[in-house]
Amino acid sequence: MVMKSAIEDDDAGWGLGIPEKMKNNANWVDITHEFKGACKELNLGELLHDKLFGLFEAMSAIEMMDPKMDAGMIGNQVNRKVLNFEQAIKEGAIKVKDLSLPELIGIIDTSFCCLITWLEGHSLAQTVFTCLYVHNPDLIEEPALKAFALGILKVCDIAREKVNKAAVFEEEDFQAMTYGFKMANNVTDLRVTGMLKDVEDELQRKVKSTRTRQGEQRDPEVEREHQQYLALFNRIKFTRLLLTALITFTKKETSSVGEAQKLVIQAADLLSAIHSSIQHGIQSQNDTTKGDHPIMMGFEPLVNQRLLPPTFPRYAKIIKREDMVAYFSKLIDRIKTVCDVISTTNLHGILDFFCEFSEQSPCVLSRSLLQTTFLIDNKKVFGTHLMQDMIKDALRYFVSPPVLSYKCCLFNNHQAKDYIDSFVTHCSRPFCSLIQIHGHNRARQRDKLGHILEEFATLQDEAEKVDAALHSLLMKLEPQRQHLACLGTWILYHNLRIMVQYLLSGFELELYSMHEYYYIYWYLSEFLYAWLMSTLSRADSSQMAEERLLEEQVKGRSSKKIKKKKKVRPLSKEITMSQAYQNMCAGMYKTMVALDMDGKVQKPQFELDSEQVRYEHRFAPFNSVVTPPPVHYIQFKEMSDLKKYNPPPGSTDLYMAASKHFQQAKLILENVPSPDPEVIRILKVAKPNIVVTKLLAGGHKKDAKVLPEFDFSAHKYFPVVKII
Amino acid sequence: MATMIEENGPSTHEQYQVSPSYQARQKLEGLLNKNMKIRMTDGRTLVGLFLCTDRDCNVILGSAQEFLKSSDTFSQGEPRVLGLAMIPGHHVVSIEVEADSLEDVPGFGANH
Repeated sequence: MVMKSAIEDDDAGWGLGIPEKMKNNANWVDITHEFKGACKELNLGELLHDKLFGLFEAMSAIEMMDPKMDAGMIGNQVNRKVLNFEQAIKEGAIKVKDLSLPELIGIIDTSFCCLITWLEGHSLAQTVFTCLYVHNPDLIEEPALKAFALGILKVCDIAREKVNKAAVFEEEDFQAMTYGFKMANNVTDLRVTGMLKDVEDELQRKVKSTRTRQGEQRDPEVEREHQQYLALFNRIKFTRLLLTALITFTKKETSSVGEAQKLVIQAADLLSAIHSSIQHGIQSQNDTTKGDHPIMMGFEPLVNQRLLPPTFPRYAKIIKREDMVAYFSKLIDRIKTVCDVISTTNLHGILDFFCEFSEQSPCVLSRSLLQTTFLIDNKKVFGTHLMQDMIKDALRYFVSPPVLSYKCCLFNNHQAKDYIDSFVTHCSRPFCSLIQIHGHNRARQRDKLGHILEEFATLQDEAEKVDAALHSLLMKLEPQRQHLACLGTWILYHNLRIMVQYLLSGFELELYSMHEYYYIYWYLSEFLYAWLMSTLSRADSSQMAEERLLEEQVKGRSSKKIKKKKKVRPLSKEITMSQAYQNMCAGMYKTMVALDMDGKVQKPQFELDSEQVRYEHRFAPFNSVVTPPPVHYIQFKEMSDLKKYNPPPGSTDLYMAASKHFQQAKLILENVPSPDPEVIRILKVAKPNIVVTKLLAGGHKKDAKVLPEFDFSAHKYFPVVKII
Repeated sequence: MATMIEENGPSTHEQYQVSPSYQARQKLEGLLNKNMKIRMTDGRTLVGLFLCTDRDCNVILGSAQEFLKSSDTFSQGEPRVLGLAMIPGHHVVSIEVEADSLEDVPGFGANH
């Protein structure tokens, strides 16, 4: 550290002084021979270094001549002149007017590929700005190319703004640096879309004039020209639609989301035509087998090589043209999905929407669009609803607390109103963060979920206090009603959901070793899902109590006989799914314990740690939660001790029990009306596991020394157990 | 920088010792935190502070700057700042240091 600051002080002198010294060799003395000789005297593995410089500092050095780290290496192996835009024009290496149609098509397709590569996390300097034309569109005389260059810059600019605003990216997702390039800021969005539209109209005329007329003998030359005009027309139109859709997203009205959806659907319609006309574009010229980049007219992959940051100057591999259309069509599908969020009005529904969307590991742009669509300028949900109102609705939907019921005296009570309003206001930030967390990539989500538990613990505390205060108020006003653990139940529900998701995502991210499975599944089945189900049923009974009260009031007034219809309980689906999950976890837990008994679980040689250390590390974030209280390792060992049963179960009994759990999960899921994909995925694991555990219970391959395999391909949280 | 070199430079070299490995260490330690210019196998030159080396002559330079080969005219003279850089021993072609930095280093002075 000391070293670094000392060096930085000298920086100003370095830049100026060194080139002078470089030319003047008199100052430099060659010591190659002595140096190498002296190095040989060192012992193997010995580092000769300064006191302030150790192995730890050495780790962060970039390795020269390693193509992954050394960006300068690639540039240096190429024996050609690297020209910037102005130089290239001067030398005639690049055309700014009278470009042929194949040239235009090729340039546009390569630019699209660069755009995609950027969206996938590479730097602008190594992707979009390898195209010299976008460095200064003012110098382009060809109208189609000029409009396109401006269009692509605008697309980048808006995408960057969206991603920055949503703030759901990390360095591995997205590079926001622009390296001082101009993003067409001197031209308005409207002007650019107008230019693209003009070019599009002009091209449409060309397409029409080259079209086959009836009875005409077709000239193959004209036919090819017609195809090429059409190809260019589609590309320009696609650019315009994509840009317009992104611009529409920046508008504040909710209706604009529907408009954006229409635009991307139109854009998607052009994709197959674009795909089938890729071969009309010019291809890169040179031989790429020697490690050089493919060179296209108008592109210079190395033009920005020296702008790259010194740390990890990665080599950006631009995606292939053949894959471009597939990527765009998936991107558009994701954007279409994002637009659907506005039809979800309930906060819980929105949260589920975010979870489901995130499960497909979407790209950073679509994730960001979803965030910015949800909270417009961080104030109102979809630009229309207050977060506080959304939370109140969610509470009503989940536990129907008397304080939020129009029929309750608390609803208009001044003091009660203050209590609930301040609670709801305090909820709004943690819930916004929770939704934002679901916008991050999967690995980061887990980390952040662990941290947000602290905020929810504070909310839990407040919820319990507010419940108590409201209850005592209600007892005075309407002694026949209760306000017990309403808000508390709701917060607890979210607490548990976060904890469950935290543990489960460890399977998806492949964090756990096989010998850890048993306590993770134990914690889920015996503890978290048990709590979740009791929480859900408490909410359900609270809802029913409220409904009964309402019914009685209605009855009293109209005295008409109300038909007793069996209504579907709003939480029944979630209760059912939790039961299924609990059984799956219990089945996995028992299977793992039994496998361990049979010596079929490989355990590490604990040297510096122990199972306790690992256990405590796995559940560390839960320590900040008060309800449910964390289960410490000693408690876990006591609770899961098989010796408390008489006689203690053997592996056969445990396999049988596991099989019953999987069977139970299957029964529950098969009774779900209109099963969703998740139900089908769990069934795909439950069914084979019933069979495998039964076989194991019957002593199948009991003495085999081969370890079982766990196949997570059918479901990311539950594996199919395979005995080979 | 000067104060740092004094602080970290070997203060024990007056101690009487003749083993070649001791002398080698003395030599190398004397160069620590001095400017060093290393030419690599691909023709590039790195200039930075010598921080660390080992038996295979892998060298770590601090606040290193990269210069392209002299034949390249474009972007000549403008070094790229690399920061901490490790040059694998087998890519080291030549090593140079500034003449005045050798004055107080034992074992080099006699050669020049």
